[in-house]
Amino acid sequence: MPIIETQGLSYTYSPGTPYKKDAIKGISIKIEKGDFVGIIGHTGSGKSTLVQHLNGLLRPTSGKVLLNGRDIWENPKKIREVRFKVGLVFQYPEHQLFEETAYKDIAFGPSNMGLDGDEIDKRVRTAARFVGLKDELLEKSPFELSGGEKRRVAIAGVMAMQPEVLILDEPTAGLDPKGRDMILGQIAEYQKENGATVILVSHSMEDIARTTKKVLVMNKGSVAMFDETQIVFSRAEELQSIGLSVPAVTRIFMQLRGMGYNVGDNAYTVKQAVERLLPLLKREVGNND
Amino acid sequence: MIDITLGQYFPGNSFLHRMDPRVKMVLIFLYIFSVFIPQNWVGLGLAVAFLVFVIILSRLPVKLIFKSIKPIIPLVLITSALNIFYISDGTTLFKWGFIQITTKGITTASFIAIRIICLIAGSSLLTYTTSPTTLTDALERLLSPLKVVKLNVHELAMMMTIALRFIPTLIEETDKIMSAQKARGADLESGGLMQRIRALIPIIVPLFVSSFRRAFDLATAMECRCYRGGERRTRMKQMKMRVPDYISIVVVLAFAAGLLGLNFIFKSVL
Ligand SMILES: Nc1ncnc2c1ncn2[C@@H]1O[C@H](COP(=O)(O)OP(=O)(O)OP(=O)(O)O)[C@@H](O)[C@H]1O
Ligand SMILES: [Mg+2]
Repeated sequence: MPIIETQGLSYTYSPGTPYKKDAIKGISIKIEKGDFVGIIGHTGSGKSTLVQHLNGLLRPTSGKVLLNGRDIWENPKKIREVRFKVGLVFQYPEHQLFEETAYKDIAFGPSNMGLDGDEIDKRVRTAARFVGLKDELLEKSPFELSGGEKRRVAIAGVMAMQPEVLILDEPTAGLDPKGRDMILGQIAEYQKENGATVILVSHSMEDIARTTKKVLVMNKGSVAMFDETQIVFSRAEELQSIGLSVPAVTRIFMQLRGMGYNVGDNAYTVKQAVERLLPLLKREVGNND
Repeated sequence: MIDITLGQYFPGNSFLHRMDPRVKMVLIFLYIFSVFIPQNWVGLGLAVAFLVFVIILSRLPVKLIFKSIKPIIPLVLITSALNIFYISDGTTLFKWGFIQITTKGITTASFIAIRIICLIAGSSLLTYTTSPTTLTDALERLLSPLKVVKLNVHELAMMMTIALRFIPTLIEETDKIMSAQKARGADLESGGLMQRIRALIPIIVPLFVSSFRRAFDLATAMECRCYRGGERRTRMKQMKMRVPDYISIVVVLAFAAGLLGLNFIFKSVL
């Protein structure tokens, strides 16, 4: 049974006004337990709207969201429990910090769950370790931290709830390359260690290529593709036709092939490219001898 | 989702939407005053008919107009009731103890009710067909003669425009922060009064932080573009009166004069 399933999910913002907007239309997807799913799509294609349905922040205009096979809106009073199971880190989550210390801010989620003090402390420290926050930073006011540190505190705040499904909406937007690599690495580690299901929304094809197993491509509120990462990036022309790019490495491979080199299948991570190109280079060097 | 339609602008491209906002503002004020002219049913009927005509011109959904009237219905009912019970001249229709209902009372009450409704519906036409920023812009220009009494009209209008401009932003921001805290299990809906107030802290603190950040950013951005108040500023959007605006002025003036004239032709019923 898929851990999350949506059936014909549609959502309209401001219905019945001139500002009416069908943000997502008839989305039906299944996400299996332990999957690492990437969501890509043009600005305004409905990615954020979609993920806000998965933890019950938005109530579908039509369609259903099933968590472990049960409609999450079956009992609207219990929707908070869904939010503890499906953790969502918003776009620019550092804007939601409010406590006096980073520690207390990370503890906000777990204490809402009604856990006892020891358990909360354990979870806060585990989550902080995961995102690479040093102990002395935990006692600082979140407003004194740097942008990247704030971002980590906010992500830790959701990780500390230890959700079965962790959703991150552009967690690396506006970070430097090193900070980006670090956060992505930590998310991948969290996934491995907890066997959690992770959904990552991102505009960076490189990030998606490197971390995810499956990719959901959104276009104008509908699902354009939903498949293994490799398969999705092999359909580069289709991606480009809906205004998305492919990882730079994949573009290089496409050009090499266009120039007449027999480089085989497209690679979409640097590691793959190295594996693919090295033998070819060796052969060339051999021929020259 | 917070559903506040402040600055209830309803975009469109009707005659009313395209009018010079200054003219529109003045004429709607003129209409509101005119509603108090009629002393007879014919005049009042004309005032209502004129309003209906303008509503049709505005091409707004009638539902919207009713929505603007709804909140004042209690007020209308109370004033009408007071009038019915207090006015004791005219033919008595009904008497019970000290309560007395007369024809005159009913007439006056209906007049007042209809006037209030016309007044509200008329002024809502202004806010429905003009965006808040255009409105303050028009106000600035209409009030600019007050410069002679050292009132800084430009700065006042600027403050109003900025405030109006940021209301939707703040609502959106509040919405987003609420969602983010709900995602962390914040419970905003249950508990006693104290608990609910405490539950607001995770929303208010980030909201203040971001409002200050926005205010500073805006100030910096304005200074970077050498903003220096109203002195010798030119405008991107020039307001210009066109033929339809002049026609509207003539029509509304004729309407007001007509109402005055009708008062002489027909006997006052009040
Ligand atoms: N609160 C809202 N009210 C009205 N319309 C909205 C709201 N939020 C989003 N929309 C609209 O819904 C559509 C989908 O928005 P959404 O935020 O889901 O896009 P996105 O794919 O996350 O984009 P981005 O990559 O820029 O974050 C957009 O056209 C947007 O204008
Ligand atoms: Mg988004």
